[in-house]
Amino acid sequence: MAPVKCSHVKEHLSKWLTWPLVGLALIPLGGCGEEFRLFYPKGPVAAAQLKYTMIDVGIMLLIILPTTLMLCLFIWRYGKARKAAYDPDWAHSMTIELLIWGGPIAIVALLAVFTYESVIETNPYDPTVLRAPAGTQVPAQAPLEIDVITTDWQWFFIYPKQHIATIDDLVVPQGRVVRLRMTSTSVTNDFFIPQLAPMIDVMPGMQTRDAFSSDGPGTFTGFSADFSGAGFSWMQFSTRVMSGDGFSSWVAGVQAGQAQPNRGALSYAVFQKLAHPTLNIGAKPGYFASVDTGVFNRAVTDALNGLTYPVPADLTEKMAPDSGPSNQRRSSENGKGS
Amino acid sequence: MPVHLQGPWSFLFGRLTLHAIPYDNVIILFAFTLAAVAGIAIVLPVLYFKKIPYLWREWITTVDHKKIGVMYIIVGLVMMFRGFFDGLMIRTQQVLADGPHSPHFLDASHGYIPPYHFDQIYSSHGTIMILFAVTPILTGLTNVIVPLQVGARDMAFPYMNALSLWLTAMGAALVMVSLFVGDFSDAGWSGLIPLTELPFSPGVGVDYWVWSIQISSIGTTLNAVNMIATIVMMRAPGMTWFRLPVFTWTTLSTNIIGLTAFPVLGVALAMLSCDRYIGTHFFTAGLGGNLMLYTNLFWIWGHPEVYFLVLPAFGIFSEIIPAFSHRPLFGYTTMVAATFAIAGIAWLVWLHHFFTMGAGPGVNTFFSVATMLVGVPTGVKVFNWVFTMYRGRLTFETPMLWCLGGLFMLLAGGLTGMMLAMPAIDYTVHNSVFVVAHFHCMVLLIAYAIFGAVIFWFPKVFGMQLDERSGKLFFWTFSTGSILVFVAMFALGFMGETRRLDYLYDPHMLPLLIIQEIGIGFYGLSVLIFAWMLFVSLRNRNTSLESDPWGTSRTLEWLTRTPVPFYNFAVTPQINARDELDWRRRSGLDLSHPDRFAPIHMPGNTMIPILIGICSFGLGFGMIWRIWWMAGGGLLAIIALVIFRSFQHTPGYMLQPGEIAAMERRTAASGIIAEQPSRPPLMEAGAH
Ligand code: HEM
Ligand SMILES: [Cu+2]
Ligand SMILES: [Cu+2]
Repeated sequence: MAPVKCSHVKEHLSKWLTWPLVGLALIPLGGCGEEFRLFYPKGPVAAAQLKYTMIDVGIMLLIILPTTLMLCLFIWRYGKARKAAYDPDWAHSMTIELLIWGGPIAIVALLAVFTYESVIETNPYDPTVLRAPAGTQVPAQAPLEIDVITTDWQWFFIYPKQHIATIDDLVVPQGRVVRLRMTSTSVTNDFFIPQLAPMIDVMPGMQTRDAFSSDGPGTFTGFSADFSGAGFSWMQFSTRVMSGDGFSSWVAGVQAGQAQPNRGALSYAVFQKLAHPTLNIGAKPGYFASVDTGVFNRAVTDALNGLTYPVPADLTEKMAPDSGPSNQRRSSENGKGS
Repeated sequence: MPVHLQGPWSFLFGRLTLHAIPYDNVIILFAFTLAAVAGIAIVLPVLYFKKIPYLWREWITTVDHKKIGVMYIIVGLVMMFRGFFDGLMIRTQQVLADGPHSPHFLDASHGYIPPYHFDQIYSSHGTIMILFAVTPILTGLTNVIVPLQVGARDMAFPYMNALSLWLTAMGAALVMVSLFVGDFSDAGWSGLIPLTELPFSPGVGVDYWVWSIQISSIGTTLNAVNMIATIVMMRAPGMTWFRLPVFTWTTLSTNIIGLTAFPVLGVALAMLSCDRYIGTHFFTAGLGGNLMLYTNLFWIWGHPEVYFLVLPAFGIFSEIIPAFSHRPLFGYTTMVAATFAIAGIAWLVWLHHFFTMGAGPGVNTFFSVATMLVGVPTGVKVFNWVFTMYRGRLTFETPMLWCLGGLFMLLAGGLTGMMLAMPAIDYTVHNSVFVVAHFHCMVLLIAYAIFGAVIFWFPKVFGMQLDERSGKLFFWTFSTGSILVFVAMFALGFMGETRRLDYLYDPHMLPLLIIQEIGIGFYGLSVLIFAWMLFVSLRNRNTSLESDPWGTSRTLEWLTRTPVPFYNFAVTPQINARDELDWRRRSGLDLSHPDRFAPIHMPGNTMIPILIGICSFGLGFGMIWRIWWMAGGGLLAIIALVIFRSFQHTPGYMLQPGEIAAMERRTAASGIIAEQPSRPPLMEAGAH
């Protein structure tokens, strides 16, 4: 057997390089700014999620930390060079074996309790954290209903009560519960606003729901989290939380056609035109001063009846030659045809 | 054409046109040059030294489980290298494409890879690493080691073993071909549905993905049958169930998973193919299809698959840690119980891959708690390894370093896995790079085990040890890379970075992306050091090794000579204890070798497996490009070959005691790289 030589300079160098570099990797974590979105929740659902993250990690550390320490200790203590006690036979101990089964089982049992609690609290169909705490008055305002439709690769937000709609711009009043009904005309997407709303899939021919509310005004980026094809990386939307009054006047503005770019009325026919695959680089918003009722339901039924908006091959494979940087917004309608 | 296809089709070439060859893409041109140079560097010496007959007789047509195992590992390492390049390109694209003012090169609007290409790169990265790198390497390791550990002459079905290898290799070949002819899938390694349906993926990419997996997974399934049969039926006398080495136990449980899970994948892919080829509606959103069915089927395979990979890695830890702690494994029985507990629970947790699909609280809670339960046996295993070191006499040879590194990876991956198991947390990080970092911890742990295993068992197979000094350097650079890339990736997950982005919206991510890029640089360095390690080891090789070159190994495979002769054991060993070699060492029997031999019946070579492999490649390629005559021809040829084979008499040959005695004295003559003289096949009457 080759004796172990540890004299090599390079090897030592890299060994000692490892730890400073790890430290380097941790610096950004220490300087936790707001860009660590998950640590800065801006609404009750996201706050509950952060709370359970902390609980889960805390409970897990109860077992991970001692194990890690023990591992390090044994590696250090029982190195051959240290000449510690050596027992070449010991391989079984009932006590230890009971403990190492019992410990994890207890931890999992504890976690299971919190899991159940957390599932109920953040259930996207009816998150109990959004319910008014027992004893207080029922909130004066009913939830704001918004229908969400994803296409390749844009977000449509329809406000059925307000009869307006937007592309890639979700505007909500602060403090009010927002309930979303979501579907897709193309592939599966995943609705996600890190500081506000949990990730929930958006699927064609199906309806899913999500709900959130926000603590205060602000602008947050929302994402499609589930890969959906060529335009996926640009499929963001902005989420603007306004005061109640601000929201009302924004709605009035959109209704009056003042929000720019105003794209007129959203009938199902107009929607179908816009639903063709479009690379929306830079997530350019759009506004509709009025909306026909039933766009959402027709999108669902049409998908169920087999309607698809096929993606032209040149958008999926040879996206060149005209996908260069100058091409900001490209739709399969513009001469490229399916 | 039963379905509507975009683009031209002709009878002779199907969808294949010159346009499919991306000769105008610099990146692919570079890859092609690299592959061509490597190819020439291999082919020229082979031709020059007239080694083709040797390769054909000793390797390509072999049915020897050790050679097959080695070829599996070579295929896996080549694919791992390709997968590494993909990873390098992904990281480089992301660091270049952060924020609206990021630079752009070539024909990308940000970074240097346009989306259609980037999406293929990460999809092939995942597919390759999981199915064509780690899976074949582990299959190869179990192929080499398990028959030796149970004291068998070979696998239960040597011919089928060769067939499994060639099917896997041809699947890998299809993935490689997709780089130069056409495109690979851009729908993720998990085949996101309905993105993989024809309207959304109109090209051949998804078909490449489907057929490469379909063909290789048949190989994996056959191998599972073979392994199970070998372990159950071929154990040497005295090798009772509770004397089985733990690596063999984990191989058994893993292959039970393989045998039961891979058919699910096969069926899911076949249904997807029906959608794409004949216009059925299994997984479409409309017309009665159910896309969630695909997601369920995929993960009913997919989750057991990740345990299919990790259990052999656990087995490797269980062999190497005792060897270098100079102690028996702590808690053998609980280890075995934990192995089967993991394998069992692995079947009950698949829904945790899509908590976000909107299932109700009851369903989510059930799968959440089931997932957490996996943590229990996993934790037990960690404790067992830790207590194996307690009161040990630890030495830190490279295999041990890889195992200890792997333990830390396991702790990180386990902690984050338990976070993901809670739906409320998963809602914030599912489909984010946090998940990517979690499973890379786990997959890295497997990679660590693999490197440890290759170094540990290398002398047994090749009769020489790998260089320790460069091996350690390799370990430290690789680990530095791992830490830099994945600590930063966890942090990015908390920033809300979603997966699979080829353009990042948030300039704040840049510092972390740069750290990742530095990390991938360390990985690159470690690849070079790996090559250097092989070179140095070959240059300084010492080929006169003891049976057990480490001096502290414990199990049966170290009993036979090093390098292991092609007939494994000159005399079938009689097993006396759980750690047989350790028992013999203590009884002073480890140096005694048999001097009286009985004739050994060996199986003969066959070229049928490689022929079936080539035909399956034709079948796959024909189906991908819809060249129906080629696909049909391939299928018919396979059927003909199978029929031919079943009427063929394969008596094998006899090794006579005199010959064995001679080879036992000159071990190099019987090692797996040695060329064997051709021996006359047995006459019918002599076969038994
Ligand atoms: C303690 C054990 C483990 C737990 C509790 C656990 C938990 C999870 C959960 C809940 C997810 C889903 C995350 C999501 O998509 O939102 C996940 C993903 C994943 N895990 Fe684990 N895991 C464990 C061990 C492993 C092991 C041993 C491996 C592999 C060898 C592994 C590989 C993966 C992979 C590949 C994915 C992501 C698949 C994808 O979406 O592409 N995990 N894990
Ligand atoms: Cu990877
Ligand atoms: Cu899983």
